[in-house]
Amino acid sequence: MSRSIHPALIAMTVLVYIFLIGPLVIIFGASVSDTTFLAFPPQGLTLHWFENIWEISAFRRTIVTSLQVALVGTFIALLIGIPAAYALNRHRIHLPGWLSTLFVLPILVPEIVIGFSLLRSVNVELGVPVFASLLIGHTLLVLPYVIRVISAALASFDFSIEEAAVSLGSHPVKTFFTIVLPNVRSGVIAAFILAFITSINDVSVSLFLTGPGISTLPIQILAHVEQFFDPTVASVSVLLMMLTIIVMIIVERTLGLTVVAK
Amino acid sequence: MKRLAGWMLSSPATLAVSLFLIIPVAATISVTFTAPGGLLAPYAEFFDSAFQRTVLWRTFEVAAITTVVSLVLGLMTAYVVSRCPPWMKSVLIILAVFPLLTGVVVRSFAWLIILGRNGVMNNTLEWLGLIERPIALLYTQTSVVIALIYIFIPLMILVLIGVLENIPDDLLQASASLGASPTRTFVQVVLPLATPGLIVGAVLVFTASFTSYATPHLLGGTRQMMMGTFLHQRAMVTFDWVSASTVAAIMVVVIMTTVLVMTRIAKRLNPMAA
Amino acid sequence: MTLPLTIDQITAHYGATKVLEDLSLHVADGELVSLLGASGCGKTTTLRLVAGFMQPTKGTIRLGDKDLTRLPAHGRDIGLVFQSYALFPHLSVMNNVAFGLKQRKLPAAEQKARAMAMLERVGLSHLADRLPAELSGGQKQRVALARALVIEPPLLMFDEPLSNLDAKLRVDMRVEIRQLQRANGTTALYVTHDQEEAFSISDRVAIMDQGRIMQLDTPETLYQRPANSFVARFVGFENLIPLTVTGRDGPRVRAVTRDGAALSLSQDRLGPIPDAFILATRADGLRVSGDPAAEGLAATLGLRTYLGRAYQYRCEAAAEPLVANGSLATPFEPGTRATLIPDPDHCAILMPE
Repeated sequence: MSRSIHPALIAMTVLVYIFLIGPLVIIFGASVSDTTFLAFPPQGLTLHWFENIWEISAFRRTIVTSLQVALVGTFIALLIGIPAAYALNRHRIHLPGWLSTLFVLPILVPEIVIGFSLLRSVNVELGVPVFASLLIGHTLLVLPYVIRVISAALASFDFSIEEAAVSLGSHPVKTFFTIVLPNVRSGVIAAFILAFITSINDVSVSLFLTGPGISTLPIQILAHVEQFFDPTVASVSVLLMMLTIIVMIIVERTLGLTVVAK
Repeated sequence: MKRLAGWMLSSPATLAVSLFLIIPVAATISVTFTAPGGLLAPYAEFFDSAFQRTVLWRTFEVAAITTVVSLVLGLMTAYVVSRCPPWMKSVLIILAVFPLLTGVVVRSFAWLIILGRNGVMNNTLEWLGLIERPIALLYTQTSVVIALIYIFIPLMILVLIGVLENIPDDLLQASASLGASPTRTFVQVVLPLATPGLIVGAVLVFTASFTSYATPHLLGGTRQMMMGTFLHQRAMVTFDWVSASTVAAIMVVVIMTTVLVMTRIAKRLNPMAA
Repeated sequence: MTLPLTIDQITAHYGATKVLEDLSLHVADGELVSLLGASGCGKTTTLRLVAGFMQPTKGTIRLGDKDLTRLPAHGRDIGLVFQSYALFPHLSVMNNVAFGLKQRKLPAAEQKARAMAMLERVGLSHLADRLPAELSGGQKQRVALARALVIEPPLLMFDEPLSNLDAKLRVDMRVEIRQLQRANGTTALYVTHDQEEAFSISDRVAIMDQGRIMQLDTPETLYQRPANSFVARFVGFENLIPLTVTGRDGPRVRAVTRDGAALSLSQDRLGPIPDAFILATRADGLRVSGDPAAEGLAATLGLRTYLGRAYQYRCEAAAEPLVANGSLATPFEPGTRATLIPDPDHCAILMPE
């Protein structure tokens, strides 16, 4: 192959990748440092900071809350997003053009504005409890990803298969579950994972929707870093990175990672 | 019947977005028009304050620098990655996806360790004998910009790999067969065809860094306040919700304008659409 | 200026897979040679090697006296027409055609004048300011042709240039390509999977299979005298009957099929016949006779189909499934006992494999 690339460009690329990965390696190193402050390279080796995560109740609580909100929020988003994506693909001619624009609004409007507005209107004015507000915020946050990923999967689905099933006597609703959904399964899995990761990592929406005893892990990390500059946060970060790696392995096994890249 | 089915299926999502996004955000913005002191008074107050003007300007500056640097580095990297053999390309894409899926908080936090008083950077500089005692690297505009570039470069790389892969190989070969060197092919064929995609990538990074919170919070603190951290401070520390709503409204206007104008330009520049 | 192309014993790999083996090919000055074969036969690989988009693992490629083998693609000076046309979508028709001249750093005025003159030749001067997206398929094809020709390359190469056009346009365009190539006297290498296209415009055709050239000859020779059973099947010889000679009597040769059916042939029109050979015919080279006693192969007729100019019969003869044509005057029903008579003008004698 005559695909010559200028050596300077290759050198730049190597530097960019060191820049990309280096800091993550540093977090890992800092998480096992036997010091009370963040240090790299680590001085001494300990797993104490990982144990410390469980000893601090705020971390325990927020990890649970984050998982609950991410799972339930993603589930609700799938529940309302899948029919919407289906409608956008199957009944596009009967629906106004602005509808698909409406569904990207949660990405278009700055997250921090959404978070603040939900605090004002939903939490304070309507008196919706903090946890429910948080759930609403996260559902909204991940809805565009769900709709987009599933729309993409449906776009490559041959709807004449669905028509064939109906012509053979299958009820349209049953056809959706037995014919359409199984064929866009990988899209649903991709949407779930993308939504879950987005929710788990969110800061800007959750920032305003915390209350007594309720907060998410990223917000707790920010709070902890402000008060203590110890390696606990590095260990939490390592746990989160391990979660990311597990997710990536699952994706690789089931769909191939190129799905996420898109 | 069919028309109804479409509406019914999309109505839960439509309702959710309308109730929990459009109405609350509209309410936030409307507050700024009904505040005591007359129409637009909150905006007059915002722009009267040198501090608040600085915050807005800083946010623009930081977002612009972040965008330009990520664009340049991202384009070079994406170009190299897109020309790699398949197995290496997969590895490099995975290495870019991993940071992207790792949260903003975690990735910003990494720069605390690097740029802190006893951080990697200070230790290295001391060891090299370039400085005698630790210097303040954190809570500067540079620290925020570096971290934001770090946050958004994977996104830029992945977007641009997609853009470059969309340019058919045939065109590059046609260019070579007509006598254009790789450099000239890049300038005369690749760059013009990638421009709409470059704009999309730039808009993504600009809007995301303009509205970022966690990174400027961790690495800029109160000294390097940006629109996001300023909004939070007004809302949750000083509890001045009119002021916070004004900041929110300004952010929405900036973002919407940027997105609308730039996507229109990108669409016009797209030769495939003609 | 136009030059002969010499490909000398090249071998090429895609990763670990060998895609070309010891391939040699000479295209004379001004000649048009087609590479013809199914996808995966190595024809496109050959073109990519000559264009410089791929490097051979061994062998050399020369254009006139110049060794191209290690030159980068942009230094080879070869006009290339792509299957996808590969027009630059962001450039006007004019700027597409002038692209190669611009790389040669010609003065802007001359670039424009020469590009315009070439557009005139392909009948598109009125579309000079359009973008490629605004052109029809045939127009795009002409622009691609003009862009390749305007740099006056010593060698022109075509990679399936017509396969994206509809049938009617395809015939028109291939005549046009041939005329332009003839008029310029440019050496040309043409890759296609379409037999009719290759035969109609080429001086010589190389039929390829699995990275090798199976036969390189004029279209006439290939069509009438294939050199081996692969080429025979490729050019449409449906019946390949293995035979063994049992006796010779002057020009007459007696032979038997594998299951013993006898057949008498004359070397007068078929050429010398070796002791073991394959008799290859198309359906129209095997005539159906209703006389079971006639000299030929005894056969039982099967399904009859109507071809317009003749009836065609699937039939069973000498343990081989054969296809033969019969006259429209006397249709036969399935099951009829008949004789198949080879027409020496439409037969080829092949060596057994």
